[in-house]
Amino acid sequence: MSPNTEQVLKVSGLPPEAVKLSRIWDWCVVAAVALLFMGAIHLHVMLTVGDWDMFVDWKDREFWVLVCPVSMMMIPAALQAVFWHYFRLPIGMTLGAVLLFVATWITRAVGWHLWGYFPFTMGVPATILAGAMACDAVLLIVRSSLLTSTFGGFLFAMLFFPSNWPSLAAYFLPVQHQGMVASVADMIGYVFPRSGTPEYIRLIERGTLRTYEGSTVWISSFFAGIICIFMHMIWWQIGLAFATQKFVPTSKRFRRMVGLEAPAAQS
Amino acid sequence: MSTTTTVATPLAGAAAADIAADRKPGYYINFNLFALAMIVMAVMFAAYRVYQQVYAWNFGLDATTPEFDKYWMTLLRIEIPVLFGAGFLCWGYLWLTRDRNLAALKPKEELKRYFTFTLWLVTYTFAIYFIGSFFAEGDGVWHQTVIRDTPFTPSHNVLFYACIPTYIFFSVGGFMYAITRLPAFSRGISVAHVLAVLGPIFILPNLGFNEWGHAFWLTEEIFSHPLHWGFVVLGWNALALPGVALQMIQRMVPLFHEVFDKREAPAA
Amino acid sequence: MHSIFRALGRVVPLLLLAAMLVQALPAAAHGERAQEPYLRTRTAHWYDVKWSVDKLGVNDTITVTGKFRLFGDWPDAVQIPHTVFVSNATPGPVLARVESYLNGVPARQSFRDLQIGRDYEYKMVLKGRVPGRFHVHPMIAVKGSGPLVGPGKWIEVTGNRADFVFPVSAISGEQIDNLETWGLGAAIKWHLVWLTIAVVWILWWVRRPLLMPRYLALKADREDLLTTNTDLKVGIGLLIVTLVVTFAGYRWAKSTYPRTVPLQAGTMYTPPLPAEPKAVNVRFQEARYDVPGRSMRMALDVTNLSDKPLRLGEFATASIRFVNLNLPAAKANIDPGYPMEVIARTTLSISDDSEIKPGETRTLRIDATDAAWEIERLTSFLTDVDSKFGGLLFFFDPQGKRYIAEVGGPILPVFKGVQVKQAATGNAGT
Repeated sequence: MSPNTEQVLKVSGLPPEAVKLSRIWDWCVVAAVALLFMGAIHLHVMLTVGDWDMFVDWKDREFWVLVCPVSMMMIPAALQAVFWHYFRLPIGMTLGAVLLFVATWITRAVGWHLWGYFPFTMGVPATILAGAMACDAVLLIVRSSLLTSTFGGFLFAMLFFPSNWPSLAAYFLPVQHQGMVASVADMIGYVFPRSGTPEYIRLIERGTLRTYEGSTVWISSFFAGIICIFMHMIWWQIGLAFATQKFVPTSKRFRRMVGLEAPAAQS
Repeated sequence: MSTTTTVATPLAGAAAADIAADRKPGYYINFNLFALAMIVMAVMFAAYRVYQQVYAWNFGLDATTPEFDKYWMTLLRIEIPVLFGAGFLCWGYLWLTRDRNLAALKPKEELKRYFTFTLWLVTYTFAIYFIGSFFAEGDGVWHQTVIRDTPFTPSHNVLFYACIPTYIFFSVGGFMYAITRLPAFSRGISVAHVLAVLGPIFILPNLGFNEWGHAFWLTEEIFSHPLHWGFVVLGWNALALPGVALQMIQRMVPLFHEVFDKREAPAA
Repeated sequence: MHSIFRALGRVVPLLLLAAMLVQALPAAAHGERAQEPYLRTRTAHWYDVKWSVDKLGVNDTITVTGKFRLFGDWPDAVQIPHTVFVSNATPGPVLARVESYLNGVPARQSFRDLQIGRDYEYKMVLKGRVPGRFHVHPMIAVKGSGPLVGPGKWIEVTGNRADFVFPVSAISGEQIDNLETWGLGAAIKWHLVWLTIAVVWILWWVRRPLLMPRYLALKADREDLLTTNTDLKVGIGLLIVTLVVTFAGYRWAKSTYPRTVPLQAGTMYTPPLPAEPKAVNVRFQEARYDVPGRSMRMALDVTNLSDKPLRLGEFATASIRFVNLNLPAAKANIDPGYPMEVIARTTLSISDDSEIKPGETRTLRIDATDAAWEIERLTSFLTDVDSKFGGLLFFFDPQGKRYIAEVGGPILPVFKGVQVKQAATGNAGT
């Protein structure tokens, strides 16, 4: 046991037996948090930005880079708030990102690949691990939710594209197909058909008047960064609000039924 | 709630062994029933996944065929009454066997019950993983690949009509356990716990809206469509469970002192 | 890692399937039977659909060709085909798409502004990928409404799934051995890098007493114990490592793949197939569907506008073909490989099957009878809000040349005993 841990335990005042039990309780809570937020964050992401995340041929410069950080910021920011506010643990965003990452890869394998026969190349997910860790680090350094929102939130979005490009760049090589240019990602989406997902359903960049020589992805990232600042602020408060410890007093009748109060006097 | 305990005098023989035993973690936390619940759930969900693998492509593509009725509608007719029925039985049992004298509950017993409550919550979250992640993306796999022709698709029959009653079993079960066996949770209803339980329960009525939308309004398959955002908002209620954990800490810490200390417990 | 999953993907289903009996289905649909009759009979009418083979090996190709007419009396509930995608209905990517065309124009992208009342030619080349027996349909998808599925045929794919490859050459010079596995190694490697850093960061905190002690220490105003200087240094280190790895990874990606393109999104356009001069004018009179008898009876006035005598050879609607088996040209119009399950077993019954002379107008009473009406759920009038049907009529001249006309209108169900009585009393019947 490190000196710091000894000090923390001493200050906490917990008896030694309680320390052991509290550690067991820690692991139960870790298990519960992991399972719960694997489900909750993945569901949230699936139903807000799922198509962009599930398919390589949805990863465009205009929407994917914008909507994914904005959506994926939400619940992790709330977790970060609770972990920091009550426990001074700067791990909420990273934990959320790791849980999302694990849950996503499991379903890519068990769902899309094993059940749907889709290749893994169709569903390489983006990760928010880099931005999440940066945001947690900023929180630890500045110790202020406002500054974390401003710098950490912005960084979270700005790191999304460059941290994912190494794993996705290979899918944007140009290919000639039927006399036309396609990206490898377009080809993958085309070659492995999804009857319920026609090409036009993709909410992707369909042409702009100004493309600034292809740097639009950074414009989208920047815009995402601005939104993420506010998204972090809002979700920090939402996280704290949800973690309410309020009780609403029960009725006397109920309390009598569970023996918290003496039975009503016979009239 | 703080109490002052007197200094314990040494006891001989069996009493001494009891004192030693009730200072061990094993006295307060028993994983047996929890392990059973987890194994049953794991096996059940694995079996569902295998069932989808074997019967979905062969018999699940066309809801008008007799084979679809045999393999998928029969499943529905069994799982809904069985899973919901099990829930009602469990919650009824928890209510009927409630502690009728919570005012007299001993600290050691109360502490044990907090660990049992914790395990109820862990089983709940295990079930939430399957609806929120595992089978949910399977729903995407199915509907973005084939043509939807019934609300009772092979993916829906597992995702909605197996996972939902399962997590409701544990969420309401945990709630019933808390309000019938833990004084803090009986004296007052935990707002966070209500949110964490009711939010996901309302996914069931939101299904009605979802199916209505798919039948009349949205004939194409975008997973992140606003039609689905009811589920998103209801899923946010998962954030209320940390509130429950904090409420537990606030009672368990004084309990630790009552059980293990020989001095007055500090307020939490 | 992908090879581990690939192995699992082969072994696990095989083990499970070995214990099960897989039943062969009769003509199986893919969800289109649940689509409303007005949708299936008044949108895309597929004809001349051909599948080049019945059986192919993994990596072998099959070509599906055909034409479709976008029906003139387009239903209100279906979006006008301003944006259409040429697709196929198969149970997932068991066949891989190689190329596709609409009127000879490459069809990887969606098409805009298809015209109602006109014909288009469809072609798709598919490649065997997953062994098994699959129902393969041509299909188009209309934006805002979804899939319009053509007739399906059972196709068998033989061989070994592991043998499937789809190589592609990049314009920038890279050789992609297989689209199924390209780029996965790098993706997984980078993901593991990030995951490792993240797990180390989490473990840095989780290895210590986590919740109650920290909660209490914070309450005791000792947060200096909870985030020490060492923690701060580690946090700063984490931020630096994150930024450095991001930057380095991005530079690596830019140097390894310097030439990339964004997702391609333009729409294609093709004019419809040239319209043939109108040879036949069809004036719909009435149609009734005999529910117990599974028979549609129509009365039409047909005017021959051409200079050749014509005979009615076929009535086709949705997936079902009712052929006049007494007309050799109509029988010859059935491709030998066409799925027989969707061709009515009884002949199309025509009140007067003799030649309709040029300029002649004749009232035809047509009887199309087959259980397929019910199996295809095309006559679910009791559950439909728009009880109108549509179809194509194929006429043939003595040289065997084919002329296509549309037919459609309201259809009334007949429940024997009820409708007849009402007809006798002069009520319209509701």
